[in-house]
Amino acid sequence: MRTQLNSHVKLLIVLAAVNIVIISILTILSPTFMTYGNLSSVMQRMSELAMLAIAETIVLISGGIDLSIGATMALAGAVSGILYKLGIPLEYCIIAALLSGVGVGLLNGFLVVEMKLQPFIVTIATMTIIRSIVYALLQGNVLTGFPAKYVDLGYVYIFKIPLLFIIMIFFAVLAILLLKKTSLGRRIFSVGANENTAYISGIYVKRIKYFAYIASGFICAAAGLLFCIRIRASIPDAGINAPLEVISAVLIGGTAITGGKGSVVGSLLGILAMYLLLNGFSLLGLNPFWEVIILGIILIYVVGQENISKNIKGLIVNIIKSRKSAAKASLSER
Amino acid sequence: MKNVKQNNYASRFGRSLWEVKELPIILYVAVMIIVFSFVIPGFFSIKNFENISRQITTIGIVSLGMTLVILTGGIDLSVGAILSFAINIGGQGIILGWPMWIVYPFMLMLGFILGWINGFLTTRIAVPALIITLGTMNIYRGTIMVITKGKYITPIPTAYDFIGGGYIPFIIFAIVLVLFIFITLRTKFGRNLYAIGGGEVSSLYSGVPVRKYKMVVYIVSGILSALAGMILVGKSGFIQPQAGLNYDLNAIAAVVIGGTSIFGGSGSILGTFLGAILMGLILAGLTMLAINPYWQGLITGFLIIFAISIDSIRQMRR
Repeated sequence: MRTQLNSHVKLLIVLAAVNIVIISILTILSPTFMTYGNLSSVMQRMSELAMLAIAETIVLISGGIDLSIGATMALAGAVSGILYKLGIPLEYCIIAALLSGVGVGLLNGFLVVEMKLQPFIVTIATMTIIRSIVYALLQGNVLTGFPAKYVDLGYVYIFKIPLLFIIMIFFAVLAILLLKKTSLGRRIFSVGANENTAYISGIYVKRIKYFAYIASGFICAAAGLLFCIRIRASIPDAGINAPLEVISAVLIGGTAITGGKGSVVGSLLGILAMYLLLNGFSLLGLNPFWEVIILGIILIYVVGQENISKNIKGLIVNIIKSRKSAAKASLSER
Repeated sequence: MKNVKQNNYASRFGRSLWEVKELPIILYVAVMIIVFSFVIPGFFSIKNFENISRQITTIGIVSLGMTLVILTGGIDLSVGAILSFAINIGGQGIILGWPMWIVYPFMLMLGFILGWINGFLTTRIAVPALIITLGTMNIYRGTIMVITKGKYITPIPTAYDFIGGGYIPFIIFAIVLVLFIFITLRTKFGRNLYAIGGGEVSSLYSGVPVRKYKMVVYIVSGILSALAGMILVGKSGFIQPQAGLNYDLNAIAAVVIGGTSIFGGSGSILGTFLGAILMGLILAGLTMLAINPYWQGLITGFLIIFAISIDSIRQMRR
């Protein structure tokens, strides 16, 4: 356990260093990078994907996976928009949107926990279902006309930091406290690391899994509202590429796809690197899609390296051992 | 061993009806055809079925390759990216005025190379295929955008239309289908694919060259994605960088609806074929009913959940 934590801390330091290197290179190469305008727009733009990353981290640590995050985000936007159009006061619309996220989490949790289905496929299915509901609700159109007071929150800055970013940080801090400082958080880790052991040690595995999916749904819905505020509308395609982007960033951040290991800080550093690269390439006039390529390479490298040191060596040693013993056995037979 | 046989060859030996893997999917397809035929005048017509078969060919071909990958217990999220890569980078040849007999093999070659990269990384790094192909998907998609700078390739010389015209796409699909059914049911290669999916380590110890098989599976998936891309070009008459955007998840959906277990080791090519047909039927039916096609996803999603629920119940009974 100790060595595992250490290796994770090491990874976090490397990631932070990577981010710092990117920042310093960009500062040198581009005069506009280190301006307040640019940095605050990067912060603003990364908020909602960072929220999704927080949600995904919780689910991945619990041993599941959630591909419906992008669709949930779009659903929250659509629900709040449609209800507002029907003349319902905005506060209730927001509550309903958040509840819709909880509903999605409940559905995912039910299918994974009670029906014992594989989370990857389940959430592909719920993603498809929710996305289709969103399209049907919005009739495929962009919905505008939120009250100015609401969408102007996107322009609110506290101590010159965008409000959206602060909300994201608030959620991140809550998630970190939850995962690290509460018994519930430790139980999430334990369920992800080994479900059977967790069950035998008296943890209600089902409830923990439900909690992970519901928390994910709730955070994604909140992310959807942030997105609505930022672009001042709800659009049916919100977060359509999010699942794969976010999972890439979260895995880069050192969260294990097998569960039981990971941290919100790592995921946020992953997202930050992603947005810094994206911003940097467009500032330097390079094709921004270099970011995607680099992201892919980093993803395979980070995850692969970890596994090489942990699994392959052991596997090879095992295979060699078993071959040797097999050879010995065949020799002794002779 | 007996158990494994029951799984895989259930359809062949005609064991109890419950054990027939394709049963749910056959029922869905039958019910869908019957319901739609009663509800929609003109649904049960050769013309309509022709349309549907034309629509499902590209996703169908990709799904067949995906089935092999999933049978071995892997997954390939990069099929859509490979499809797009093959036609976009291969399409640069069209811009340069290369003759067709060079462009087509070049596209297939690209599919081969990208599939090879997937296979190589999956077998050498021993990271879940999900992560590897997620990474390569990003890399391929990024490379496409960097090279094409997001530009469409249009117009395509009319000579390229032939592969997407008339019955040719469906004939290609049918050839691949029959070939794969034969391979999975009648050859040692096919049997070993099931064995690897059932238990990788044990098949390694029983002398199956697991690495080689996995390489082949990813390469085949890559080549088929490129082939589907070529047909797509023939059909649409232009090449766009975002081609094949939802193919990964749709192909997985078709495979899973067709009764192939996502854990590998059981399933069938025939099931995938029916899965692809089912998705085509639903889309066509909804379109003809003038129901908003947006609802298609809802039905597909529930079908996936239903299909995997049945799989899960089966596993529990065992």
